Amino acid sequence: MYFRSPGNGTSYPFDARYINRTWRPVPRNLTEGEPFMDKTMKNRTAILLFMLPACILFIGIIIIPICMSAYYSLLDWDGITTPIFVGVKNYITIFTKVTIGFPGAVRNAFLFAGLSLFIQLPVSLALALTLAKGIKGEKLYTALFFVPVIISTTVIGQLWLKIYNPEYGIVNSFLRAVGLGEYTKTWLGDSNTALLAVFIPILWQYVGYHMLLMYTGIKSQPTDLREAAMIDGASNWQISRYVTIPLLKPVLRVCVIFAVTGSLKVFDLIYVLTNGGPAHASEVPATIMIKQLFDRNNYGVGSAIAVFIVLLCFFFAIVIKKVFRTEVD
Amino acid sequence: MKLKKILSMVLATGMIVSLSACAGTTSTTDTTKAGDTAATTTAAAVTEATTKDTTAASTEPVSLTMWSIATESDAFNEPYNQAIADYQTANPNVTIKMETFENESYKTKIKSAVAANELPDIFFSWGGGFSKSFIESGKVFALNDYYTDEYKAQLPEAALGNVTVDGKYYGVTYATPVSVLFYNKAMFDKYSLKAPTTVDELKTVCQTFIDNGITPFGVSVKDTWVLAMFNDALTLKTAGPSQVKDVLTKTSGSFDSADFLTSATTLKELIDMGAFIDGATGLSNDEASALFYNGTVPMYVTGSWMGGSIMSDAANPGDFDVAPIPVINSSNAKITDFMGGASDTLMVAASSENTDAAAKAVFELTKSISMYAYLKGAGIPAWKVDYDASAVNPITAKVAELATNATSFTLWFDTLMEADDAGEYLALLQELYVGNITPEDFTAAMGEQLAA
Amino acid sequence: MSELSISGTIKPTKKYSVGNIIITILLLIWSALQLFPLYWMLTFSLKENSEIFGANIIGLPHNWLFSNYTTALQSGNMFRYLLNSVIVTVASIIITVVAATAATYALTRMVWHGRKIANAIFMLGITLPINAVILPIFLGLSKIHLTDSYWALIIPYSAFALSMSIMIASSFMEGIPLEIEEAACLDGCSVYGIFWHVILPMMKPALSTLSIFIFLQSWNELMYAVIFISNSDYRTVTVGIQNLSGSFTTDWGPIGAALVIATFPVLIIYAFFSSKIQESLVAGAVKG
Repeated sequence: MYFRSPGNGTSYPFDARYINRTWRPVPRNLTEGEPFMDKTMKNRTAILLFMLPACILFIGIIIIPICMSAYYSLLDWDGITTPIFVGVKNYITIFTKVTIGFPGAVRNAFLFAGLSLFIQLPVSLALALTLAKGIKGEKLYTALFFVPVIISTTVIGQLWLKIYNPEYGIVNSFLRAVGLGEYTKTWLGDSNTALLAVFIPILWQYVGYHMLLMYTGIKSQPTDLREAAMIDGASNWQISRYVTIPLLKPVLRVCVIFAVTGSLKVFDLIYVLTNGGPAHASEVPATIMIKQLFDRNNYGVGSAIAVFIVLLCFFFAIVIKKVFRTEVD
Repeated sequence: MKLKKILSMVLATGMIVSLSACAGTTSTTDTTKAGDTAATTTAAAVTEATTKDTTAASTEPVSLTMWSIATESDAFNEPYNQAIADYQTANPNVTIKMETFENESYKTKIKSAVAANELPDIFFSWGGGFSKSFIESGKVFALNDYYTDEYKAQLPEAALGNVTVDGKYYGVTYATPVSVLFYNKAMFDKYSLKAPTTVDELKTVCQTFIDNGITPFGVSVKDTWVLAMFNDALTLKTAGPSQVKDVLTKTSGSFDSADFLTSATTLKELIDMGAFIDGATGLSNDEASALFYNGTVPMYVTGSWMGGSIMSDAANPGDFDVAPIPVINSSNAKITDFMGGASDTLMVAASSENTDAAAKAVFELTKSISMYAYLKGAGIPAWKVDYDASAVNPITAKVAELATNATSFTLWFDTLMEADDAGEYLALLQELYVGNITPEDFTAAMGEQLAA
Repeated sequence: MSELSISGTIKPTKKYSVGNIIITILLLIWSALQLFPLYWMLTFSLKENSEIFGANIIGLPHNWLFSNYTTALQSGNMFRYLLNSVIVTVASIIITVVAATAATYALTRMVWHGRKIANAIFMLGITLPINAVILPIFLGLSKIHLTDSYWALIIPYSAFALSMSIMIASSFMEGIPLEIEEAACLDGCSVYGIFWHVILPMMKPALSTLSIFIFLQSWNELMYAVIFISNSDYRTVTVGIQNLSGSFTTDWGPIGAALVIATFPVLIIYAFFSSKIQESLVAGAVKG
C-alpha cells in the first residue's frame, strides 16, 4: 500500500496510507509495510476465542455425524444388528433400483429449486421492495406476510389437504362453481398433478421468509444513495434496479442459497401432503431417505442418500457464492 | 447489559435443569390416581437371566417406566390407565409411570431407543417382522418363566405366536384385532343385497352399487396400509393361510406363483370396474373413513377397531354391520380364516434393572387391558373372557364372536414381513393401484424382493 | 417531484395514483391469502371431526366446541409443553446468536489463514438434511447421558442453526463499512472492544432477524423432539400436539385447539419483535 507522510514537519502522529481506495490516516508507530488494522485483526487469541463456541458445536453435531453417515453409507445395516460392509453398493443401488424412485426424486428437487428461484424469489423481492419504499400500513403488511412461516407445518399440511380434497375442497368447488367442472381432479392423488400441487403450498409458505430477509436488508442500507438518485429524477424502478438491488447483493446471495439448498432438502410439507406418492409422483430425495432410514431400516441406503444430498447442496452453495462474488470475498 | 442478564439466567436455568436431569427422574403419574409416591429404584441390578429372583425384592418399592402408543385421544388410553391403576392397587410397592407417543413417530423412536440402549422397563411393540431385529440383537427379555400355567389357561400359546422365537416368548399380547368387512346395512337393504361370501357375490354387490351411482368401497391409498389391509385379505382368501405364511416369512414357496397372481388380478379387476372411491390416492384414512361414516360409501375393509369408531363418529351407528371377508379360492381358504391376530404386545427390556417386577407386571397388565379394551369396544380380547361382557357394543361383540370361531389368524403383511420387504410391498401396491405396473409385474417384483 | 420531509425520509406526493391503488389491492389480496390459514385454524379448533371432514369446512362452526380447548389443555398438558418449548428455543437462540456473531466477525473481518476454508466448511451446515444424522447424534448424546433433558435438544438445535445464522450475519456484517472499525481502532480499541462497542450495536436489526429465524427452526422441529425426549416432563409443544392423534383415528378439534394455543403466543411475540425491528432499523440505519 502507498505511504505518504504529511510532510513539512507537522506534529501529527499520523501518516497517510492508501487503503481501500482512499487515503487514510495511519498511526506512525505501526510497523513499516504492515496494512493498517492487521495487528488487531490478526490477534490469534481473539480469533480462537471468537471461533471456539461455533467450532465446538459445529464439529460435534455436524461434522462428526456427517462423517458417521458417510461411514454408514458404506454398510448394509438396519441400525440394530451387526452391520456388513458393502462399499459403494448402496450408491449404485439408489440409482439402479427402479422401485426406490431416486433419480425421479432428484429431478423433482431440481425442478423445485428452479421454481423457487424464478417464481418465489422474484415475488419476495417485489414485496420487499414495495414495502420498504414506505407505504401506508408497512408494519402491518410485513407482520402479516410472515404469518405462514410461523404457523406449524402440520396446520399448513392439513389445511392444504382440505383445500385439495376432491369432494369438498376449495379448488374443486371453485372450479365447479364457475362451470369448469370437467377440470376437477384429485390434485394430490393424480400422478400428473401431485408434484405441482405439493410445491404450491411450500412456495407460498416461504415467500414471507425470503421477503423478511430482503426487507431487513433493504432497510439496513444507507438511504442517502437512494435519496440522491431520487433527486436526480430517477424513477422507482430505476432506483430499485441500479441502487437498491446491487446493494442488496449479500442478502440476495443468502436468499438464493437458502432457496436452492432448501429445495434440495425439502421434506416436511411433502411428507404430510403425499409422502412422495402416489407411486413416487411427488417424491423428493428427503422423503425417500426417511423411508429408507426409518420405515425400511435400510441405514446404509438412507445414509447414502443423505451424503448425496449433502454433496449436491454443497456443490450448489459454492457455485452460487462464486456467481454472487462481492467485494469482500 | 441485557444480553448478559439473559445469558446468565439461561445458564443458571440450564445448570439447574441438568442437575435435576442427572439426579434421576421424578415420577409424576399424570392420569392414574393410585401410587403417587416418588419411588426409588432397587439397587439390586437383576441380570437378564431368565431365572426367577428369589430374594425378598417383592416387597421393596419398585418403579417401572413404560412406553406405549395409547395417547390421550387413542381408544386404548383408558384401558391402559385402568390396567395400571388396578395393578398398582394390587401391588402397592410397584409404581408404573407410562409415557405415551403417537403411533407413527413411535416406530422410529423405539428403533432408535433399541439401537442406543435407551429402553424403558416395559415397552409396547408390534410382533412379527417389526420386532424381529430387537429380539435377534438380544435386547428383549424372554418371559418363559413367567408364563405360568394359570396364565396359559387364560391366554393360549397361539396368541403369543407372533412374539415367539426359537421357543422363547418375548412379549405378551392383549388384543386380537382382525380384518373384517364393515358395511352399511341400510344401504345394502335398499338394494336388497346381502353381505358377500364369495368373490362372485362380491363383484355382484359392487356392480349393483356402481350401476346405481354409488362407489362400493372406501379406501385410502395415501395411507397405504388401508389398501394393504384390503389386499392382504384378498390374498389370504385366495392363497390360503399356510401358503401365505410360508411365502412371506421366506420359509418356502414364492410370491411369484398362481394364487398370488390371481389375487393381484382380482384386485386389478375391482380397481378397473370402479369399486374404489375416486381420489383414494389423495385421501387419508381419516378422510376416507369419514366417507363411510356419513353414508357416501357402503363398504370399508379394515381392522376391528373401526367398530368403536362407528359408535362415536357415525351419525347412525345402527345402520352398520360387519361380516368376514369373502372367499376367493375355496380350496385354499375358508370364510373363517382371518387376517390379523395378536400383534400388539408389551415387551420387557433386557437392559431393565427390574426385569422380574416388569415381567410379572406385563402379564397382569395385558390381562386387564384385554378386558377393559373389549368392554369399551376398542379391541377384541386375546385373553379369555370370563367376565360380564354384555355392555360391549353390538358390532365389536359380533367381531369377537367371529374371532373366537376363527380357524386361523394371519398377521398383516406389513407387520409379518421384515421392514424392507414390507416397505417394498406397500410401494408396489401403490404402483399397482395407480396402474403403473401390471399384476404380473407386481407378483414378479415381490417374488424377487423376498428372494433377495 | 417528491419532497423531503424533516426526518429525512421521502414521501411521494401523489398518494392515490393508479399504481398505488393496484399495489394496495394486490397487497390486500396477498394478506388475505396469508391470513386464511390462521382463520381456518381458529375455526376448526372449535369443530368436531364430522364438520371438519365434510359438513362444514370453511365456515364458522355450527357447534362451538370449546371443550376442544379443555381437552387440549388438560389431557394435552399444553402449558407444560409450551414452557419446555420456550426454554429450549430461547436457550438455542442465545447460544446460536453468541456463537454465530462471534464466528462471523472472525470469518469476515479478521485476517487469518484458512478463513476461506472455514467459511466453506460452515456452509456444510445448511446442506445437511438433519433427519439423516439423528441416530449418530442420539448415540453420542446417550453416551454422555444427556438424553431426556433440555440439553438434548438445545445442543443440536443450536448447532443446526449455526450455518444459517453465520450466513445471514455475514451478509449484514459485510454491509458495515470498514471506516467505523478503523475509527475505533484509532481510538485505541482492542478487537474485543471493536466487537462489543461497534459491531454488535450496528448488528441489532440483524440480531432480531436472526432470533426470528432460529426460533422458527427450533420451535416447529419434530423428529428430534420425539426421539431424544421420552420423559413427558421435558416434552415440547410439537410432540404434544402430535400426541393428540390416536393410532387409527384422530380427533382434529383438540389438535386445532392445541395449535391455536401454541401459535398465538408466537404471533404476539413476533408482532412485538417486528415493531422492535422496525424501530432499530430506522434508528440504526447507517448514514454514510
